[in-house]
Amino acid sequence: MTQDVEMKDHQTPSQSVSSSVPSTLQHLKEIASVIETGSYAKEIRRIMRAIRLTMGLRRKLTASVLSAFLNFALVPGSDVHARLSGFVPKEGEHDMEVDTATSVTQTPAKHVLPELEIYCYLLVLLFLIDQKKYNEAKDCSSASIARVKSLNRRTLDVLASRLYFYYSYSYELTGDLAEIRGNLLALHRIATLRHDELGQETLLNLLLRNYLHYNLYDQAEKLRSKAPRFEAHSNQQFCRYLFYLGKIRTIQLEYTDAKESLLQAARKAPVAAQGFRILCNKWAILVRLLLGEIPERTTFMQKGMEKALRPYFELTNAVRIGDLELFRAVAEKFAGTFSADRTNNLIVRLRHNVIRTGLRNISISYSRISLVDVAKKLRLDSANPVADAESIVAKAIRDGAIDATLDHANGWVVSKETGDIYSTTEPQLAFNSRIAFCLNMHNEAVRALRFPPNTHKEKEGAEKRRERQQQEQELAQHIAEEDDDDF
Amino acid sequence: MDPKLTEVSQLFERFKAAITRKDYDTCTQQLSQLKVMLTGFRSLPPLFEETPNSVHELTLARDIFEHAVLLSVKIEDQDAFERDFFQLKPYYTDARNRLPESPNEYMILGLNLLRLLVQNRIAEFHTELELLTSTALENPCIKHAVELEQSFMEGAYNRVLSAKQNVPNETYGYFMDLLAKTVRDEIAGCSEKAYDYLSINDARQMLLFTSDQELLEYSKEEHSEWEVKNGSVFFQKAKDSAPCKEIPSLQLINQTLSYARELERIV
Repeated sequence: MTQDVEMKDHQTPSQSVSSSVPSTLQHLKEIASVIETGSYAKEIRRIMRAIRLTMGLRRKLTASVLSAFLNFALVPGSDVHARLSGFVPKEGEHDMEVDTATSVTQTPAKHVLPELEIYCYLLVLLFLIDQKKYNEAKDCSSASIARVKSLNRRTLDVLASRLYFYYSYSYELTGDLAEIRGNLLALHRIATLRHDELGQETLLNLLLRNYLHYNLYDQAEKLRSKAPRFEAHSNQQFCRYLFYLGKIRTIQLEYTDAKESLLQAARKAPVAAQGFRILCNKWAILVRLLLGEIPERTTFMQKGMEKALRPYFELTNAVRIGDLELFRAVAEKFAGTFSADRTNNLIVRLRHNVIRTGLRNISISYSRISLVDVAKKLRLDSANPVADAESIVAKAIRDGAIDATLDHANGWVVSKETGDIYSTTEPQLAFNSRIAFCLNMHNEAVRALRFPPNTHKEKEGAEKRRERQQQEQELAQHIAEEDDDDF
Repeated sequence: MDPKLTEVSQLFERFKAAITRKDYDTCTQQLSQLKVMLTGFRSLPPLFEETPNSVHELTLARDIFEHAVLLSVKIEDQDAFERDFFQLKPYYTDARNRLPESPNEYMILGLNLLRLLVQNRIAEFHTELELLTSTALENPCIKHAVELEQSFMEGAYNRVLSAKQNVPNETYGYFMDLLAKTVRDEIAGCSEKAYDYLSINDARQMLLFTSDQELLEYSKEEHSEWEVKNGSVFFQKAKDSAPCKEIPSLQLINQTLSYARELERIV
């Protein structure tokens, strides 16, 4: 690392910018060294740590810092360097001349690791996206993807998966997602061949996102059912997968599966991912309404989500009361929000549930009620409300929503006595499902425990024990921070 | 103009003439010939190459498939409809930017939705619905199908049957007839559970039969458990056998064993 020290000496006096810049550059160099050690030792965790540190530095990246880092990390004459520097705008490059001179003399000794190269691509991409230069970001990401395809190293997987994400993201921001579908499919194939599981996961999620963006639920489901499944490597990717799965299941009318996936996604998502959790919750609420259960008030009152969930709160109210007029009014009032969330078609399906709930309320409160009154209460607006009401009630009885009989001659509905539920096996089934859930959660928690290595090696004195406890605390903090990753 | 193109157009004209003549055998023959000729064009899906005549070729191919779909409705072949519709679909979705809009597009999309409804493939119905833009949803053909699905889901079957009167297009007639049959089965199923008995007149009205004879035949064929006596139809309510007082022992054993196993793990 002698080259390192010399370059640092040159850098620090020639920096005319604010004092935060040397420290950012310092951090970047530290990260580069972490990546190097990680790739030599083939320890993927170090590279993940490097990425985590980069995310913290994301806000402080400027063009000059980037060019300095590029000069440091890459061989300045190579075309990689030229390509990447082309993306970064130049600002006041005179002090850089000295550095290029020094590094040129040292080029034969320096060997650029592929990891560093891909890392530089990633940095430039992040910078361009943050600066909102989406077209350049597109070009940069396409170039990086071409480079990644040719390299085949396991240590690159983590960096590559981030690259794929930003590649798709830059195309999405410019509205050209359909173009890269073929590329993503090819990349997924390559990742599967190379047993790059993290890459496979990321690419599958990106492909699903691509299809769902254009409402191609059919194709998304076909891909998802055929793609190989395995233990999730990254919590964030797993959450995303659950969310997309939930969406597909909702559209295909499989509400129970959808509810499970969506609720799990909302629970597992890191607290910092506010937008994602809000969206998960919106869909989860709609699915629960479609299943016929009313979500409790507390779901709408979660921190930070109150305003966003307000339209859905009013919708739930209308469904709970069973009032068609109110439902229609709410749907019209918030039509803009619903079409922005693309949940319009689901709202239309809810009309049926409103009628069912209304019917259920009526059947519970009346032992006998005429069909004319039923039609009036449900406020069915149609040409022949009584005949409509009759067929609707008949269907509801057949589906088991209400327990009653119709008397056609007299034109009324007679409700049956509700039996004693504790004499059936219902309570036992409910208990069973809850017990199973708690036990499952316990098992998952045990599986997720991580132990520091070498704990069984030596016996410790009090001093060492205190030290170890301190280390454990830091580790726990680290793990908590890791979940706040800004993906 | 390209000689292949002229050949195809001429055959297409003869095909259209045969349809108006209602000569369905020649039609099917000519259709297969047309499809074979279409494979010669490189500008069609799945290749989508750019040839100088591509717009003309694409429009021609699209017209051919639209007529094929309408033909399949006339000869009442649902499988043929599905096949031709799948071949037609890329022209509406992928080639949308390159072709002028087809006047029959929404009608055919509505027909497809209706077909899915009749075949009770509601999940696919909704997936197709998602693909439609909001302008498409305003179109009367599509609106008709959507409202029909809603009424079907809610159970307002008389609305379904009255919708038969106001079809947007007479080609819808075939599917509406099929739908009427499905609706009748549904009504019978619901009435079975909902009513204890119905007078013959009422039953006949509800199930849309024109005479008592038809009603009796229907009940004998499909629902042999109904009893017809004293001028009323009695629906069997034999399901109220005493609720089983047995304990579901197998289930209980399984559950308790799993609790024991899990609790052991919690050291």
